[in-house]
Amino acid sequence: MKNRFNLILIVAIAIVFTACQKDEATPVAVPAFSRTQTLTVNFSATKPFAFFGFKDSALVANTDSTTAKWDFGLRLTTFLVNSNASGPGKAGVILQDGIFANLNTAPTSGYAYDTTSTKLAIKDGSWYDYNSVSRSLVPKAGKVFFFRTADGAHYAKMQLLAVDYAPFTGPTPSQLLYKFQYTYQPNGSNSF
Amino acid sequence: MKKTHYFFSIALALFQLQAIAQQRVFKDTLDGSSETVVVTANRSERKMGNVAVPVILIGKKTISQTGSLRIQDILQEQTGIVIVNSALGTSLNGYPNPFGQGVQMLGLDPAYTAILLDGEPLVGRNAGILKLGRLATGNIKQVEIVKGPSSSLYGSEAMAGVINILTDMPAKENIGFQLHHATNNTWGGTLSYANRIHKTGIQFFLNRLSTDGYDLDPTIYGKTVDPYRDWNGQLKITQELSNKLQLLVSLRNYDAKQDNNYQIFYQNLPAIASGYTTETDRSAFAQFKWLLSSNSKLYVRGFYDRYTNESFVNLDKTGLRFDETSFDQSVFKPEIQYEKNRPGKSQYVAGFGSNIEMIDASRYAGKQNLATVYGFTQKEWYLLSQKLTLIAGARIDKRTDFDLHLSPRFAMAYKPNAHWKFTASAGWGFKAPDFRHMYLNFYNAQIGYSLLGSATLGQELGKLQQQGLLQAGADISPYTNATGLKPETSFGIHVGAKYTSGKLVAEWGLFRNNISNLIDVYALPFTRTNSLPIYSYRNVGNVFTQGAEMDLSYQLTKQIRLSGGYQFLLAKDKQVLENIDNGLLYKRDPITLQSSLLSRQDYVGLANRSKHSLNAKVLYEQPTAGFDAYFRAVYRGAFGFMDKNGNNIIDNESELTPGYWMLNLAASKTIGNHLRVQIGAENLLDYTNPVQLSNIPGRTYFINLNLNINQPTKHKLP
Repeated sequence: MKNRFNLILIVAIAIVFTACQKDEATPVAVPAFSRTQTLTVNFSATKPFAFFGFKDSALVANTDSTTAKWDFGLRLTTFLVNSNASGPGKAGVILQDGIFANLNTAPTSGYAYDTTSTKLAIKDGSWYDYNSVSRSLVPKAGKVFFFRTADGAHYAKMQLLAVDYAPFTGPTPSQLLYKFQYTYQPNGSNSF
Repeated sequence: MKKTHYFFSIALALFQLQAIAQQRVFKDTLDGSSETVVVTANRSERKMGNVAVPVILIGKKTISQTGSLRIQDILQEQTGIVIVNSALGTSLNGYPNPFGQGVQMLGLDPAYTAILLDGEPLVGRNAGILKLGRLATGNIKQVEIVKGPSSSLYGSEAMAGVINILTDMPAKENIGFQLHHATNNTWGGTLSYANRIHKTGIQFFLNRLSTDGYDLDPTIYGKTVDPYRDWNGQLKITQELSNKLQLLVSLRNYDAKQDNNYQIFYQNLPAIASGYTTETDRSAFAQFKWLLSSNSKLYVRGFYDRYTNESFVNLDKTGLRFDETSFDQSVFKPEIQYEKNRPGKSQYVAGFGSNIEMIDASRYAGKQNLATVYGFTQKEWYLLSQKLTLIAGARIDKRTDFDLHLSPRFAMAYKPNAHWKFTASAGWGFKAPDFRHMYLNFYNAQIGYSLLGSATLGQELGKLQQQGLLQAGADISPYTNATGLKPETSFGIHVGAKYTSGKLVAEWGLFRNNISNLIDVYALPFTRTNSLPIYSYRNVGNVFTQGAEMDLSYQLTKQIRLSGGYQFLLAKDKQVLENIDNGLLYKRDPITLQSSLLSRQDYVGLANRSKHSLNAKVLYEQPTAGFDAYFRAVYRGAFGFMDKNGNNIIDNESELTPGYWMLNLAASKTIGNHLRVQIGAENLLDYTNPVQLSNIPGRTYFINLNLNINQPTKHKLP
């Protein structure tokens, strides 16, 4: 509910903002949208990945894993980006230090790809700390993921907010809940 | 409820007895009196008042007045001494910390304080922590605590300081018997005997302690601390071989057995596992003391200590072995020490020796040996009509696998008049990587991570890869020819002032310690196939600890003495401060989950350090009535527990364990010539923190009965 309200607000602001800039004769763009979502991810090194596409703000079915519908995939702490070894897409990623709200321009070059299945764009351990005492995964603060999406034509920025275990019984958790926030720019521009 | 009632009726009875007690005069000096002889600060006998480095002295009388059977309880009542949990495995879901608790001094971890028993080092540290519960308190003569770098005399492990526990020496004939009973069905019995017959002295001590343990969280299967029983025995013999040659032989045996009983998951189903842990610690010490002349002495010593720990659990249902570990460490230490005293002018001490250590443990890669040879020398000058004392000393250590290491120390004391003493000392220390840093090979079956020592890292990674336990495609080549760890080094300074005037003793101190090449755990860039991390050790940046301390003692009336102490402490990582200044560190707000830049003000410091700690004590003594009561309050301020907001440092209120008070009270009464009855209560406020401080039981009560029979010596002392 809150997210929807935010979206409306952002759209409204964007409309007002673009409206004010009418004089500059720029094409009327589809505004960037921001969301906060939670992705349920398998706590297993063997079970399927959870795939996510920014464009539709949705989980992509595993049957579509060989399409360019998804941008990134997650399983335990392994990140895939839809490229080379991981999928047919042209997705790339840059992990950058900074404050999400202040980083409003995505780089146009320097994106990393999943070169091989063991040389992934996002290195395991680069974005979280595992606390062996509380057995918790804590995403590192101040890490912003810039994505070029699977179609190679759009940009998104994303940050992880929290990683929690889905309620479980027994010795090992079965699922992780990744809470993340992102902004997707549908108009192809690299500014958000 | 019943127990409490019983306790107070005894208390009442005691106070009534006091009135009809026989009159007896006790003669004793106050702890820390300038005339008391201490040995640790200079490795040779000095009067407390002449020592130039900060020393805390806890005498037999104080130990007996606290009534405590645990040395850590007595230590933590001293200013600047904090008993801390190992940073590793602070709590495993309500189970006790597997690494135990140790002494934090000057803000440095327990691994940096040397623990000596009668001047010799104890072995068997687990993750840097020596289990202090191994030592009984009944035969302690005095505890000497030297704060500040002491590597110049004691080598590695003495970077933060030294705690030397000195046990009773054979004296006039005495038979002692003590019975101890406390909450949790704790029972203790002690038998001691001392005598001097002709030229032979003998001191015998035997103690047994057993308890049912305690449970802080009944919702979790098993007890927080399982039942255990300890045996502690010591035999000391002194022999005057001639009027110039004395022999001292000391044998010690510690034997402990503790139940293990907890719930595990076996094939994904909860199951009960039980078994026990047995520990032994056996040492032998022999020393010849040769009086070369009236002013010079030579000591020839040999010390051997072996510590073993074996632990197992079986599955209750099937009887199958679920887990077992073993640990066996020994040290042999021959040493020669020479002392020369030029009364009123100077004192000189020098020595050399070696440390031959062996370890064989299931969590270590194979059987390992380490040998160190060392030599030390120190001279002390008395100048300006003995108002000024200057000390210069140094020690060299050469361990087989490291370069020669030099640790100097300089100290001075200036006593302008009878009231004031000013001291300053500076020392360099070092701590060589220990067995665990080099050879640990540990896989946590409960959680699933690995911790590997640096010396065998490449080898062990190779094995894991072969067994297919390493993440696919992991590149282990950077680790196969690792350069190994460098020793940690430190530089510490301490300045102090002490004022003594009749009833008042006040002491102030400022300290700063810099540690370089700190060895810490890090995660390798690849994981096991279960996606859980592999940790190893490496030299990381530099940390410092600095602070101020103050101690006050005031004799309010003939019967009442008030004392108190306070320590202010800052302990920080220099790299973190630099990263903050360079805008590289972020924090996540626990509510909005948004990241923002970290400021210096946010940074609390290293985990486990309390900015403020203090103690306050009231001692009431009525020697004529044979009565005393001792009340102590100890406060440990809030301290960092663990990171929660994604920057691996302590910077948020939610990452702190709140401060807490421990209030302890004991009262004793002498009845007749031989009997002393003592009752007491510890942790009066019943503070508990099952998750973060599972080592603290709730409120406990105890009663001690002491029987002491002093016989007039049948033979004249030589």
